[in-house]
Amino acid sequence: MIRLESCPAPPPARLEEYRRLLTACGLTDEGDGDQTVLAVEEETERLAACGTRRGDLLLQIAVGPCFRGEDLAARVLSALMAQAPGRPWMLCTKPENRRMFASLGFSPLAETADALLMEHRRGTMARFLSALPQFPGENGAVVCHCDPFTLGHRHLIAYAAARCAHLYVFVLSEDRGAVPAADRLQLVRQGTADLPNVTVAAGGPYFVSRATFPAYFIKDRSRVEAVRTDLDLALFGRQAAPALGIVRRFVGEEPYCPVTAAYNENMRRLLPAMGVAVEEIPRLGDISAGAVRRLWAQGNWEEVRSMVPETTYAWLRSHTPTGP
Amino acid sequence: MELKKAATAGTMESGDVMVTLCPAQEGGVDLSLTSSVQQQFGRQIEAVIRDTLRKLGVEHAQVTAVDKGALDCTIRARVAAAVYRSAGETPERWEEL
Repeated sequence: MIRLESCPAPPPARLEEYRRLLTACGLTDEGDGDQTVLAVEEETERLAACGTRRGDLLLQIAVGPCFRGEDLAARVLSALMAQAPGRPWMLCTKPENRRMFASLGFSPLAETADALLMEHRRGTMARFLSALPQFPGENGAVVCHCDPFTLGHRHLIAYAAARCAHLYVFVLSEDRGAVPAADRLQLVRQGTADLPNVTVAAGGPYFVSRATFPAYFIKDRSRVEAVRTDLDLALFGRQAAPALGIVRRFVGEEPYCPVTAAYNENMRRLLPAMGVAVEEIPRLGDISAGAVRRLWAQGNWEEVRSMVPETTYAWLRSHTPTGP
Repeated sequence: MELKKAATAGTMESGDVMVTLCPAQEGGVDLSLTSSVQQQFGRQIEAVIRDTLRKLGVEHAQVTAVDKGALDCTIRARVAAAVYRSAGETPERWEEL
């Protein structure tokens, strides 16, 4: 008999076996999951299969070689998905498993050399995109965290808006920063309200989320070699860009954070082949959201005020800093 | 019955069906079905799902069903369980279905 165990992360006693199982299936433990389901053979206490949920992404679905053909992938996935019904589930797997997961209701969204991203209900991402205002012509896009929205972001967006028919600004939706996602979105809207050809939208699970680009949200940003950015970029290039007529992506130069720098570099390497030109804009002086957060924490209001629009300044004045 | 939140019932194991419901205000029943026996029984399964929802008074919903060869009685039970979970209600008489 197989027993299912659900846990926030694989328990230390099982960690080695867990990693061995992943390795046997050509996968690696990315860590940082929200929930892991382990299928354990009761007679032997051997780990038979496993799966993990991180945000809206299902990943590291593995079934041990001795346990194939017993429907374990379906059991593990069912247990993971039942925990949060109705999410816009995506699944990351190896391209050769496409048919197996198609039989469980997943359809492909984007593919790279060694990974395939699928969604559970066909057309979920397409509906997310078609719900946005549509504009003819050659459009552009900016994807940003804006934690908080600074004059640097404003400079990037104004520059980009002047160089395309319509500009989509996708603000990251994860609540992992210093300013809550809903407030960040609101501050970007307020700070760009005077630009007529700009649409500000929440990125949801599709634009730099914990599902598509987990490394962005991990504090330790030194392990750049382990960073996976290609799925996020493939999703942008293959789904978002064609649906919204985006032919240009604008990005701020990143001299400080190695993970973001690696992301930008991959963007320059991968997006043009998908029909999206990439333009990197130099920073506006010394302004950065990180600097603003530090000054905010120090209560250095004069300096803060020089780096952000009035709307952001007013928000910061009425909130106590919580994050770094 | 009024759907209040997203809910799911069943599994994707062989012989079962996993039904996920999301409330909707309009648009009728928007059904997405994946079935291991789609060719042979796809229309029949869809009819059973729609019929069960109608009997439970659900007019608008986004429904995702992944079927692995479930029998009609299983399909009805899973749809009903998802509806009751979504509505936050306890069924009084299952046999009505």
